[in-house]
Amino acid sequence: MTVDLKKYPTIAAYAEKTAEPAWFTELRTKSLEKAASLALPSFEKIRYQRWPIQLKQPLERKNSSKELIEEIKPEQTENMVVQLGQDTLELKVSNELRSQGVIVCDWHTALQEHSDLVKKYFMQKAVKINEDLLTAQHVAHLTSGLFIYIPKNVVLKKALTSYFVQDATAKNDYVHHVIIVAGENSEFSYLENLKTVGEQATTANIIVEVIAQENSHVKFASVDRLGAKTTTYLNRRGYLEKNAKIDWSMGMMNDGNIVGDFDSDLVGAGSHSEVKIVAISTGKQIQGIDTRVTNIGKHTIGHILQHGVILSRSSLVFNGIGHILKGAKGADAQQESRVLMLSNKAKGDANPILLIDDNDVTAGHAASIGRVNQEQLYYLMSRGLPKKMAERLVIIGFLGPVLAAIPSKLIREQLKITIERKLIDGQKDE
Amino acid sequence: MSTLEVKDLHVSIDGKNILKGVNLKMQTGEIHAIMGPNGTGKSTLSEAIMGHPAYKVTKGEVLLNGENILELPVDERARAGLFLAMQYPAEIPGVTNAEFIRGAINARLPEDKPLSVRNFLKRLDKTMGVLDMTDEMADRYLNEGFSGGEKKRNEILQLMMIKPKFAILDEIDSGLDIDALKVVSRGVNQMRGPEFGSLIITHYQRLLNYIVPDVVHVMMGGRIVKQGGPELAKRLEDEGYAGLRDELGLDIKLVDEEA
Ligand SMILES: Nc1ncnc2c1ncn2[C@@H]1O[C@H](COP(=O)(O)OP(=O)(O)OP(=O)(O)O)[C@@H](O)[C@H]1O
Ligand SMILES: [Mg+2]
Repeated sequence: MTVDLKKYPTIAAYAEKTAEPAWFTELRTKSLEKAASLALPSFEKIRYQRWPIQLKQPLERKNSSKELIEEIKPEQTENMVVQLGQDTLELKVSNELRSQGVIVCDWHTALQEHSDLVKKYFMQKAVKINEDLLTAQHVAHLTSGLFIYIPKNVVLKKALTSYFVQDATAKNDYVHHVIIVAGENSEFSYLENLKTVGEQATTANIIVEVIAQENSHVKFASVDRLGAKTTTYLNRRGYLEKNAKIDWSMGMMNDGNIVGDFDSDLVGAGSHSEVKIVAISTGKQIQGIDTRVTNIGKHTIGHILQHGVILSRSSLVFNGIGHILKGAKGADAQQESRVLMLSNKAKGDANPILLIDDNDVTAGHAASIGRVNQEQLYYLMSRGLPKKMAERLVIIGFLGPVLAAIPSKLIREQLKITIERKLIDGQKDE
Repeated sequence: MSTLEVKDLHVSIDGKNILKGVNLKMQTGEIHAIMGPNGTGKSTLSEAIMGHPAYKVTKGEVLLNGENILELPVDERARAGLFLAMQYPAEIPGVTNAEFIRGAINARLPEDKPLSVRNFLKRLDKTMGVLDMTDEMADRYLNEGFSGGEKKRNEILQLMMIKPKFAILDEIDSGLDIDALKVVSRGVNQMRGPEFGSLIITHYQRLLNYIVPDVVHVMMGGRIVKQGGPELAKRLEDEGYAGLRDELGLDIKLVDEEA
């Protein structure tokens, strides 16, 4: 059972330095051994295999210089976490949360103080350790993260906001893990901001697991703005028990190459996942987004709505996978993927995939790839709006149906600002 | 005072010659009307002046205060003082009417001195009042799902908010009920003054009872074939275009004529 740590001196050194529990260190070495026989995951129409996406650097505890955070200026809210590289700079949680037994702590603390809980949920239900090469490498190289536990019946009105800032001032891999466990009948809103400081070419491997227990409701939102030289594997997955619901709202505003793998497993009867994604690709970047909802339980509902815009020479692929397993009677799988291209050199795809193994279900899909409507641009410009501003309005209009469907007004506004900024930056490349 | 002059304008679309030498001169303080049979090139003239990319100018000039504007992109022409109320305005989902109009006004102001939201809303509210528009129209998406008449009203709303030097109104009266016709005319008349000129394209003399023009032009076969005062519009209403055509000895086929 025990693994000889002498074979893995860097892992052993790291484990000793961070005093992580033996079971976790053991997971690392096992994953590493297993990795040799695992392959990279494949996603329809997303060819990322030759990117520098694999984790190759030795496991090491590194500190970041705190001043770097000043570039980001995280907005102060009641419940918030700010992490820079492997360091946690700020963790603020209201008394309301504390008194109800909510746990919010960084990865090291979680392993120290809530080892049993972590052991119970870490890559056990949502993502599996040995799923593929990237998940196995993730475990072996993991150095930062956040653990959130909402006890049974706790209903939180105020959201928790996290800022995860990747430190790319040096060539360090960024390997990050978030677990959200929402207990029975609980309600929780979470906003994640992914950012990069520094300009070094780096690799990021990020996994987020949301375990939504019976009758819980999680609103998960993210504004992702990783840097131009960061190559990212981003996996967000929900595991939904009976009558649980997850609202996913994601803004893919990254500047570098990224594979986003966004999945919901509707395990419990009556569980429900709503996935809303807006994406903008600019410059020469490639964003591949693979969104899957699997209906396993009876009367489960999985809806995917994703709209994306492609500028300059960039690429954007949307896969929408609705998979209804046999026995998922009364399940509903709907999806809509649309991309809008603003230049002749842009490349885009919207790829609906419906896999249906039961008869007693409802399913539907819509997909489109279009170019910006010249009559609309002309109309806006005829009122004096400069071309780029007119383009931005048409784009925001195109993304509108997704934005409008995002439950939180705050997130909508935040996304709009980020979209505007990303577009203005992106238009400079044209 | 500003001037707008169209000189020997030839325009083709998809390789087909539509305008065959249009000449027209106007200045602020004046209202001109253009009438003419269907398919004769009235919208082509207005789109070519505004700068729609599909309309190719093969010869001639359009001068705003003596400067040829044909090399300018659409938005610069707009900011130079031109406005076109379109026969078929585009629908732009996701962009609210108010947000759009404010953007259009601010595009004319220095970047560091935009119109404040409060002042904008005050003006918008007042102008919508003049046009009998409900508040709700400000928050709706630009022209999306607007009825024909609502779109026309919305064009005039933009006109009044943007305050251009010259406005071309392409069939602003089509699809309007009688009350709406009065409302829209009221809006245009409110704009009338020494700093505003308008070129009104219409098929119906009735509009010209409400907005009385200084000059009426008749366009046929891609040219302006006759000019006159408001009485010319009345004559056309009574006699149709065939009479005028025959009187001028023009060899033009009208759309509704039997071969
Ligand atoms: N996009 C186009 N492609 C091909 N032909 C066009 C196009 N737009 C206009 N035309 C043609 O150009 C001619 C002039 O059209 P225009 O719209 O300028 O006429 P109009 O005088 O405004 O007519 P109406 O009174 O019906 O509005 C017509 O024969 C029309 O079919
Ligand atoms: Mg016309």
